Amino acid sequence: MTDRSDPLLTVDGLSLSYQTRQGEVQAIRNVSFELARGSALGLVGESGCGKTSVANCLMRLLPDNARLSAGRVLLDGQDVFLLTEEEMRLQRWRRISMVFQAAMNVLNPVYRVGQQIIEAIETHNVEPTDTAARERVARLFRMVGLDPQLMERYPHEFSGGMRQRAVIAMALSCDPDLMIADEPTTALDVIVQDRILRELKAIQQQLAMSIIYISHDIGAVAEVTDVVGVMYAGRLVEMGDTADVFQTPAHPYTAALMSSFPSISGERRPLTNLPGEPPNLSDPPPGCPFHPRCAYATDVCRTEYPPQVKSGSHWAACWHPLDVTLVPQS
Amino acid sequence: MTGYLVRRTGQMVLTLFLIITFTFFLVQAQPGDYASFYVLNPDLPPEVKDQIRAAFGLDKPAWQQYLIHLKNTLTGNLGVSFGNFPRPVLDVLAERVPRTLVLFLTATAVSFYIGFFLGKAIAWRRGGLFEYGATISGAMLFTAFTPAFALMMIWVFAFRLGWFPVGKFLDPLVWRGADVSANYVFGNMLLSAAAFITFALLVMLFLKRFGRRVPSVVALPILLGGALVIVVAWTLSGIGGLALDIVKHMVLPVATLTLISFAGTMLLTRNSMLETIREDYVMAARAKGLPDKQVRDRHAARNAMLPIVTSLVYSLIFAIDGSVIIESVFSWPGTGLTLLEAVRSEDLPLVMGAMLFIGTLSLLAHVIVDVLYVYLDPRIRYQ
Repeated sequence: MTDRSDPLLTVDGLSLSYQTRQGEVQAIRNVSFELARGSALGLVGESGCGKTSVANCLMRLLPDNARLSAGRVLLDGQDVFLLTEEEMRLQRWRRISMVFQAAMNVLNPVYRVGQQIIEAIETHNVEPTDTAARERVARLFRMVGLDPQLMERYPHEFSGGMRQRAVIAMALSCDPDLMIADEPTTALDVIVQDRILRELKAIQQQLAMSIIYISHDIGAVAEVTDVVGVMYAGRLVEMGDTADVFQTPAHPYTAALMSSFPSISGERRPLTNLPGEPPNLSDPPPGCPFHPRCAYATDVCRTEYPPQVKSGSHWAACWHPLDVTLVPQS
Repeated sequence: MTGYLVRRTGQMVLTLFLIITFTFFLVQAQPGDYASFYVLNPDLPPEVKDQIRAAFGLDKPAWQQYLIHLKNTLTGNLGVSFGNFPRPVLDVLAERVPRTLVLFLTATAVSFYIGFFLGKAIAWRRGGLFEYGATISGAMLFTAFTPAFALMMIWVFAFRLGWFPVGKFLDPLVWRGADVSANYVFGNMLLSAAAFITFALLVMLFLKRFGRRVPSVVALPILLGGALVIVVAWTLSGIGGLALDIVKHMVLPVATLTLISFAGTMLLTRNSMLETIREDYVMAARAKGLPDKQVRDRHAARNAMLPIVTSLVYSLIFAIDGSVIIESVFSWPGTGLTLLEAVRSEDLPLVMGAMLFIGTLSLLAHVIVDVLYVYLDPRIRYQ
């Protein structure tokens, strides 16, 4: 059927805007990337940079005021925006599942936690019988480190960490090819956060599943991903192997983002604050969207969007890349 | 839970005591009393007037009458209705209360169901003619002046179109020569309804054990079969025509009550739904690939229902209060009409009896909803 070496997911020139009373907000502008089978991709950036909008596009779960102005999302070569609503419904969770940003409220308070997972398993006929579905949930609970007996409990009887684990178990319930984890650990304390991240990484490798990890926490992303993309003002500004990007950041924004996070293992250094605010997406500045806050900005940055500079799989969209091994492609 | 119920019962008793006290003195505060009607007759000699007063016990001071009444009520003796002499109040109520309950429980159930169904539908698909139509017509009916609207319904459907009888509980022409009483027929109708509801609940409970979405396909034929058995039994019983006559008399008042009250539930459901739709678990349900209807009913509407259930109690109590108006307009011999006539003629024991019933019902409805919440929302527990 499909070649294993083909990318699982191809996002090609995706642009998305929301119609609001203040005008058209350009949430995603010309974003393209590929995701190989079994690999982990990170998307990092400040709040409001379009990370979650990308995730919602992949699931095709967009609010009514969203408009896809250009681009395609190919899952196994199939454009998800060409599917009918019913076809898309059957793809959700079976092919792409999601660990939501606000895990606290993702579980419906009036149903037992196990029942909410069984519901997904039944909808997609993953298991033939009720008993098999229950066994599957028990297995998933053990996998994420929960006592299977907890499936008879209600969400309000769970702690924050337990809920997050249950939500991860729910996302794994139909053996998806791709799991999107949107700020999966933001609401948790650092210790639980770290433990869940490690488990998530282990599960991903064990199941050979692809994962897209969305976070503003660079440390967490560096720990669990193979490839990372940095987003700013709805654009993907830098992308490459996680190690390359974080060791030799090319885009000034990536560097600024990194220096504003503390590093535990690295040298002690004062944290720097990135001055200014992200641009208003209903009226983005011309040229490079980062120029108003960039220390290296010149006249060309203010007028023209920068071309890609590239070295192997590592690329950035910048007129003045910090890593000079990246060169423009002819 | 037990401790909670005991506490609630204590509160109920106290509230009922207050209701009895206030009602008693309010009726006493009216000028004159039941005996006035006879006493005003100039032909009666004074000693006969005094005798009549004494016969009703109205010669004693109000506080003494109150204490006697309280003592009798506590021993379960509600006295004899002045206006229906010599029938005891309990006997009168036993006849009238079921008629009111059936009318208003049916109307409340129907209007709640319609209101909830329309409310969740218009919240789910916002905008469009359907939403405007339902909202505007619902709001107009909701704010209509009840007696005028009820009279209009009678004029259109009973008088002009002649589809339904003009009012009252039964048609004397149909019942002429019948060898059973209306109470007997009505009692059996209530038993049939109770039997059917029990049957339906048992079927649902039984099917639920199999899980895996069998219900609607299997359940519907079983329930229809049960209903058919009851209809056949009534047809064969020979009094089916009489029962049908009562049902015919119920249609118009139930329809009127439903029309004036469904919009309350509808608009409340709509608002509640618009809030739950934004919840993350609804988004998650959609992301899980559940069918649209399942997302709407099992996730959004199920949670939107919680505040609506509270309003259900109030609308039920409101309906019983409103029974005074509706029953008067439709000449429906229920508690409301009885209360109105009793107050007018200062039939003190009957007023007290009717008020005791309405008070008990309101308080019970509150307790039932509080208990129901425990089953609807697992987060709620009472200590």
